[in-house]
Amino acid sequence: MTNPIEITRILFEDFQPQTIHLFYAFGYSAIAIFIYGTYTQIRKYRRGKDDGSWGELLHRFWDMAKTMGSHRTLVRRDKKAGRAHGLIFFGFVLLFIGTSTITLEYDILEPLFGIKFWYGNFYLWFSLVLDIAGFGLILGLIYMMYRRKWLNLPKLSYARLDRQPGDPDFDRPQYRREDWAFLWSFILIGITGFVLEATRLVWLSGRPSVWDYRMWSPIGAALAHLMQGLGMTSEGASAFRPSLWWFHGLLSLTFIALIPRTKIKHIFTAAASLMFKDPLAGRRLPRVPDDQKNAGYKAITDLTWKNLLHLDACTKCGRCQEACPANAVGAPLSPRDVILSLREFANNALNKKELPKEAELDIHGKDVGQVFMETLWSCRTCLACVEICPVAVEHVPIIVQMRRHLVEQGEMEPLLEKTLQTIHKSGNSFGESKRKRAAWAKDLSFEIKDARLDPVDILWFVGDYASFDPRNQKVTQAFAKLMNAAGVDFGLLFEGEMNAGNDVRRVGEEGLYEYLATSNIQSLSDCDFNSIVTTDPHSYNTIRNEYPDFGGSYEIQHYSTVVKKLLEDGKLKLKKKLDYRVTFHDPCHLGRFNKGYDAPRDIIKMLGCDLVDMGRNRDNSFCCGAGGGRIWIPDPVGTVKPSQNRMNEAGTIEGLQVFVVSCPKDLTMFEDALKTSGYEGKFIVRELIELIDECMDYPEEILEKEVVAEIE
Amino acid sequence: MKILVAVKQVAALDEDFEIRADKKDVDEEFLLFDLNEWDDFSLEEAMRIKEESPDTEIEVVVVSIGPDRVDESLRKCLAKGADRAIRVWDDAVEGSDTVAIGKMLAEVVKKEAPDMVFAGVQSSDQSHASTGIAMAAYLGLPHAAVVADLKYSPGANKATIRRELEGGILQEVEIACPAVLTIQLGINKPRYASLRGIKQAAAKPIEAWSLGDIGMSASDVGEGSAMSRVRRMYVPEKGRAQMIEGTIAQQAARIIEIIKEFKGA
Ligand SMILES: Cc1cc2nc3c(=O)[nH]c(=O)nc-3n(C[C@H](O)[C@H](O)[C@@H](O)COP(=O)(O)OP(=O)(O)OC[C@H]3O[C@@H](n4cnc5c(N)ncnc54)[C@H](O)[C@@H]3O)c2cc1C
Ligand code: SF4
Ligand code: SF4
Repeated sequence: MTNPIEITRILFEDFQPQTIHLFYAFGYSAIAIFIYGTYTQIRKYRRGKDDGSWGELLHRFWDMAKTMGSHRTLVRRDKKAGRAHGLIFFGFVLLFIGTSTITLEYDILEPLFGIKFWYGNFYLWFSLVLDIAGFGLILGLIYMMYRRKWLNLPKLSYARLDRQPGDPDFDRPQYRREDWAFLWSFILIGITGFVLEATRLVWLSGRPSVWDYRMWSPIGAALAHLMQGLGMTSEGASAFRPSLWWFHGLLSLTFIALIPRTKIKHIFTAAASLMFKDPLAGRRLPRVPDDQKNAGYKAITDLTWKNLLHLDACTKCGRCQEACPANAVGAPLSPRDVILSLREFANNALNKKELPKEAELDIHGKDVGQVFMETLWSCRTCLACVEICPVAVEHVPIIVQMRRHLVEQGEMEPLLEKTLQTIHKSGNSFGESKRKRAAWAKDLSFEIKDARLDPVDILWFVGDYASFDPRNQKVTQAFAKLMNAAGVDFGLLFEGEMNAGNDVRRVGEEGLYEYLATSNIQSLSDCDFNSIVTTDPHSYNTIRNEYPDFGGSYEIQHYSTVVKKLLEDGKLKLKKKLDYRVTFHDPCHLGRFNKGYDAPRDIIKMLGCDLVDMGRNRDNSFCCGAGGGRIWIPDPVGTVKPSQNRMNEAGTIEGLQVFVVSCPKDLTMFEDALKTSGYEGKFIVRELIELIDECMDYPEEILEKEVVAEIE
Repeated sequence: MKILVAVKQVAALDEDFEIRADKKDVDEEFLLFDLNEWDDFSLEEAMRIKEESPDTEIEVVVVSIGPDRVDESLRKCLAKGADRAIRVWDDAVEGSDTVAIGKMLAEVVKKEAPDMVFAGVQSSDQSHASTGIAMAAYLGLPHAAVVADLKYSPGANKATIRRELEGGILQEVEIACPAVLTIQLGINKPRYASLRGIKQAAAKPIEAWSLGDIGMSASDVGEGSAMSRVRRMYVPEKGRAQMIEGTIAQQAARIIEIIKEFKGA
């Protein structure tokens, strides 16, 4: 039996002292380069504006650790890549801990305190774990190489929709080179590590304390046997070892030195980005301080340090681009490229010792690294990008901040400008008289309470589309009948209600938003009610998440939750069941924004319908194209609209009868798309309220029903 | 170097409006007030001249004759970049005709001594198209109406303009400056005044002038001195036009019905 103290690896065995010193010199230089690089990165972030995300650091750290530990965000919608990354990540972490353990003993504990632990059983287990880790690392890297080379994934292409071939930043070959350099150097470090291990085994095959325990490093042992089989002797191994040792060592040190300057830095930036993640990103947009002269982002230095950090966290995985509805229909927008353009801009402008002149910091324009206004206006603020980003990049707040600048400059579509002026003048986007807001209620056989005069249990915030759009007014009336039939004590604000401002804010007209929000909060504060209900997910989002910043905290529910409860409590009774085959489109502002995925589906099932989800559902729902104020900006003629893209998806469901929506804008967008994409007569678009209405049996009928008649 | 821009707050009708009890105007409760559309363009033209010559100091002054509520429109002008705003008012001005308003504006111009004066071609509520020209007459300054294009270097003693005539014809005219130009829609693309900009402009003062400040008195203005007066405002009898409602199919059916009725089938 060998003495456990001998079962170890003798570091720098057979090395000349000068050689060891030389190696240390390289090591310290690598660390110095690393530290300087880190310093320049931190200096870059510090050139951004303040951000209030410093609170609850422990909690944030724990959340980040859980996300990284579970690799939850990485396996989402791309299991294979996520798992391969897991192998690389955990492999790397273990190898890093391993190396640090050696340093801990060799450079700190032993010279200072004479403590040694890296021998015997500990050493053997250590070898085994690291062997497995290294093997996983290499497997993961091989899969990633295969994926990049042979899978031809569109999301990994760097060609851009917002640039033309021939433009200097069209497909950015330097990114491809960096990707491959990264993969090759990483895998070479792994492979040379194993070969080195095997060479040592062959070299010391005569020493029982090494050779007898070789199976604790199984990969190394297998390689050693292979090398012996190929005729390598102990002397041969001894001669071959030094050059390989240096190659492996220098490559590893270069790798470390370059972390802050290359994509490898995502190890740190992604972790930090996850840690400073804002759970309300995009749902609650940042306020513009009252004393700030100009709203929005004009210069790169207008971004907060957190924004700048997000830019560096992006790993170019392309998942956001893949989920982006604007990108899917060929609009000149990829959320990834917005982030990467700004990152390049920041690296050019903010990594220098001195900050360049003001004029050179402008992030809007047509130059390399600048973002086109067409790009910014293409965004639907649907949050698909923010939702899927594995490293918590928050694209939408940056896009909206940049739009705020465009709005101040008046750089927007004339039609959008008109709409904003109309909203300012009349309080609604339809340019209708305030007096007409509740005109739809006139046709009802019962009176709706005026919440400004009488206390009510539930205040119904109707929203513009549900109030003024003739098609949606029918739904609005149907909902009023439902509430009335269920005996709910509810009322309206009548002309006291204004456009809730959700989309105005997402357009970037912050001043108008503040005006609308504060006016509505004023109206609401004059009423006596317990909670708010709305059929409009856009109003729902801003009242729920953004009004609190302006002093209006209310309990608000989307109608689906309210109706579900009324049905469960038996306050609403279904007089018949429906047997339609239906699919459900999650509205962005109800689903992704506020996680209201289940209530509408539960109701659909209660109605007896056969619900078949589309491929892109729930958090991966595909925006109808109307978000972010795009409902006021016409899509270019001749292109497929996001709503048509969605219709085509629904069209693949066999025997589909009804495409169910639960958002007024969705009803408008999809009824239009149904016609323009050729599905008219195949299935119909209905608001969920209309389906519920179909199952009701009111004593007096006010509205004709067309639903049944139209289904073949 | 100074450019003076006369701007007016005009009224638009809200839906379902009512005529005032004296039948001479619409009840103000049903009016929505905003800056005259033409004035957006003339202010923009002044701003363009200012911004295209960053080395010359150019002051853009907006002037309006009207009551307190006009401040809101003036603030919008300040938000768009005007340097100063002047509002002239006295309750006696109520009921003035365009000639009296032109005279008042002329007095303001005399005090301010600008190098260039802009007014809108007409206002969207009253459409007299005479205020700017009346002002020019009182000032004895060269004037041109319906200007669709302007070439003018700040401070120059002449400008080249293109006037819009009937039938899409343009007339190129050289005019001595200072001059009064009435600006036509479409001469430029007016900028958007963001609400934050308007709010911030609230901090800029609006100079409130009285009749006395421009050397006039109540007897010079108002209904009494007007050369015309409103006798009656009314909604003419409806014509035969009607809106056909319903689904496309219902609408088509109704149209067929009407055609048949006319044909007497
Ligand atoms: C805001 C406002 C409120 C008024 N309120 C009343 C009222 O309540 N009762 C009443 O009897 N009279 C009122 N007047 C005065 C008067 O009836 C009108 O101003 C009249 O002179 C305008 O004629 P017009 O609209 O046809 O202008 P036009 O002759 O068509 O000319 C339009 C152009 O002239 C200039 N212009 C016209 N009027 C003014 C002005 N007042 N100030 C500066 N530039 C001007 C602008 O450049 C405008 O684009 C008011 C005027 C204003 C501006
Ligand atoms: S919010 Fe939606 S439309 Fe905008 S960039 Fe993200 S995915 Fe694209
Ligand atoms: S922003 Fe996020 S999702 Fe988009 S490419 Fe970068 S890392 Fe991937």
